[in-house]
Parts: sequence; C-alpha cells; structure tokens
Amino acid sequence: MNREELISKWLDNDLSNQELEAFKQLDDYDELIKLNHSLKAFKADEYNTSKELEGVLTTVKNKKQSSRQWLKPFMRIAAILAVCFGLYYYTTTLDTTISTEFAQKTTIELPDYSSVSLNAKSLLAFNKNKWKQDREVKLQGEAFFKVAKGSSFKVKTASGIVTVYGTQFNIKQRNNYFEVICYEGLVGVSYNSQESKLKAGDSFLILDGKLIAKEKENRIMPSWLNNVSSFKSLPYKTIITEFERQYNVEVTLIGIDSTQLFTGSFAHDNIELALKSISLPLNATYSKTNRTIILKRE
Amino acid sequence: MGKQLHDNICEEHIYSSIFNKHATDLHNFLYYKFGELLNPKDKVQEAFIKLWENCSKISPDKAKSFVFTTANNLMLNEVAHQKVVLKHQQTKPKMSTNENPEFLMQESEYNDKLQKALANLTEAQRVAFMMNRVEGKRFKEIAELLDISTKAVEKRIYGALKKLRKDIKEL
Repeated sequence: MNREELISKWLDNDLSNQELEAFKQLDDYDELIKLNHSLKAFKADEYNTSKELEGVLTTVKNKKQSSRQWLKPFMRIAAILAVCFGLYYYTTTLDTTISTEFAQKTTIELPDYSSVSLNAKSLLAFNKNKWKQDREVKLQGEAFFKVAKGSSFKVKTASGIVTVYGTQFNIKQRNNYFEVICYEGLVGVSYNSQESKLKAGDSFLILDGKLIAKEKENRIMPSWLNNVSSFKSLPYKTIITEFERQYNVEVTLIGIDSTQLFTGSFAHDNIELALKSISLPLNATYSKTNRTIILKRE
Repeated sequence: MGKQLHDNICEEHIYSSIFNKHATDLHNFLYYKFGELLNPKDKVQEAFIKLWENCSKISPDKAKSFVFTTANNLMLNEVAHQKVVLKHQQTKPKMSTNENPEFLMQESEYNDKLQKALANLTEAQRVAFMMNRVEGKRFKEIAELLDISTKAVEKRIYGALKKLRKDIKEL
C-alpha cells in the first residue's frame, strides 16, 4: 500500500490496525499529526442548535403576526369601501321620488325630457337607472304628462296602469276616483284587467268603482295647470276634497247633499272667490275660521 | 428511502426536525467557506426563515438543498458587496503540557502559518478539508452534504492537505 493511499485512508478514518502501523512508520507522520492537532484550533464556533431554532421560530412567528397587523388595517379599508360601494349602489338604484304638499304644484322633467306636472298632494316615483330599459313611473294623485316619443311609457297607479306612446294626458287618481283624460295621441288604460284606448279628447272616469261616460274634452290641457279646478257633473264631495287639497283646509257641510252633481270651477289663488264659486250655485253660505270652513244651506 | 409522508414542511415539528438535522452542517459549511466575519449564524437564520416563508412549496427532501443554496447566495451577495477578506478565527485551545516560552513561540508561529495557508485554499478545498479534519466527517457524509461524489471529496481533501503542507513549509 503506497503512501498516498495510506494518507487518504487516514483522512477518511478508514485505517485498519495493520494499516495504522504502516501509517505511523511514514516519515511525515509527526508532521501530519501536528498539523492535524493544530487544525482543531480553527474549529467553527459552537453552534447551539436548539437556541438558534428558538430564535428562528420567534422571528417566524413575529413575521406572521406582523403580516396580520398589516392585514388588519387593510381589512378595515376594504370594509369601508364595501359599505361605500353598497350605499352608492343602493342610492343610485333607488327610486327618485317627488311629492307635493297641500296647495303646492310642481313640474318635473324626466330623464327623456318628458315633463310631468304634479297637482297638490301628489306623489311621483321613477328609477333613473332603469329608465333606458323601461320608462315607468308610479303615481299617487293627479298629474299631467307630456311624454316624449319613444318606447312605451307606463304610469302605474293604485287604480290602474296607463300605457302611452308619446302623448299628453292627465291622470287623476284619488280615493274612489280614477280619471284619465287624453289630450293628444293615444292612451291605453288598463283597469281591472280591462284595456280601454283613449284618443285625443277622450276621457276615462271611474267613480266609486263605476265607469262614467263623459263628453269630449275640448281643452288642450287640464285646467288645473292654469290654477283652476273645473268639474263637470261630479258629486259635490269630489269638489270639496279637491278644494281641501288646494287650500289645505277642512270643509264641513251642513244641510248639503254631498252626492249631488256639480258643474263648475274654482280658482287656486283666491280662497274668497273660490268659496263663492262653490257655495253660490248651491245657494249656500260659508263661514271661515282659521283652517276650518263650514258650508251651510238654510 | 422511506415513503414521503408530507409534501410540505409547514408544520412546526417537521420544520424543527429539519432545522435540527441541517442547521449545524449548514453553519459549519458557511463558516469554513466564508470565514467568521460574514456572520454565518445570521445567514443560517435568514435561510431558514426563507424556508418557512416558502414552506408550502418545498418538500422535506428538497429542504436541505434549499437552505444550502439560499444561505450560499446570501453569503455571495454580501461578499460581492463588501469584498471581505477571509480570516479564520483564532481560538486558544489547550496545547501540550510542556509549555516553555520557546515552544509557545514556535507554536504560535506555526499557527499563523497554518492560518494563512488555510486562507490560501480554494473555498471548495477548505470546506471539504475542514469538515473532514475538524468536524470529523467521513468522505461519504461530506459528499452527501455537498452533493458531489465521494471521489471528488477525497480529491479535494487530499489536494488541500498537500497544498497546506507545501504552504507551511514555504512560509
């Protein structure tokens, strides 16, 4: 066995006893042992595995926590954004509602430039966002519509649905009272699942659930737009409730039959004159205290 | 080799056992390769923290090579930044009992030479040689650790020994 092999085997701690003896006979044995001994002084620092592991694990866990700490404000921002978005979505898809009080009138322009005039104590609701898909409004009370040409336009009321294509018409829906008057174009009225078509000048009136025929309408727009309410052969109580709405008063009838038919009109801007217009034809007198009015026939 | 039970090392006990198995070797490897000044302990820490961060992607049998490569790269980054000169730490172990001044001087002279000679070795030679001589590892163990053949380890160690002796004589 040559010298090189012996040294190699010694390096690998693989010498047999016999080989060890041979190795000790080498002339550089002492030198090798000395070198070997001195080398031990260059040993790496003691590495304390368990201590180092502990260090690593604490760092790792702190990092985990810090990543959560970063997550927390992020979640807050996300939550705020979600709420904001929800609110935005809710408010934009919400119906736009316009209502009028006693003695108040207003005109609204719809997204397609159709215009709606609302009479006193009425409510109109529509959805801006869905307007493109279907033109639809909800109505309580009385309103005059000037509808721009386009796809079908629907007015939903508690009494019936009115469908039109570019026209002008008036709808009045009050307690036990549903009236549609068409001033231009064609209007379809569905009432109790029955459909009626109204041409210009036609009107449709349901009073206490009964269909009442009316004469042709000659005016080009409802009189209330000019601050006058006119009535043709309507029960007196209808006139009184309209009067109450226009002047925000309460009217009490004494000795007057509220079902008798009345033809006439009253103005919205002069209560004295208006009271005369509705009391004189019946040969009645009126007295007024604050918001209470008493109509009396001797 | 046993059947692999886990496909990642995200559980703490698996991670810890890997640490216990490889951390010392890794530390010594870095120490002998780059010297003490570059903080081999910190690099071991960093490499193992990286191992944890990527724990879901690494199977247990890949963990060793991951930490070795990572730590080595961390070291190389720093070497490139700092160009630190390698220097082995000088410890003062107990020498012979017959300590007369002359002997002590000779001893310290010899150690200086040895230190310089060690610094002159190539990194590969030094790592293999010191693992063998100082840490008492067999050729086969070193071969596994460095992912090279036993023959190559033998060559490196023998070459290192030859070079050391030559350098010591010349210095």
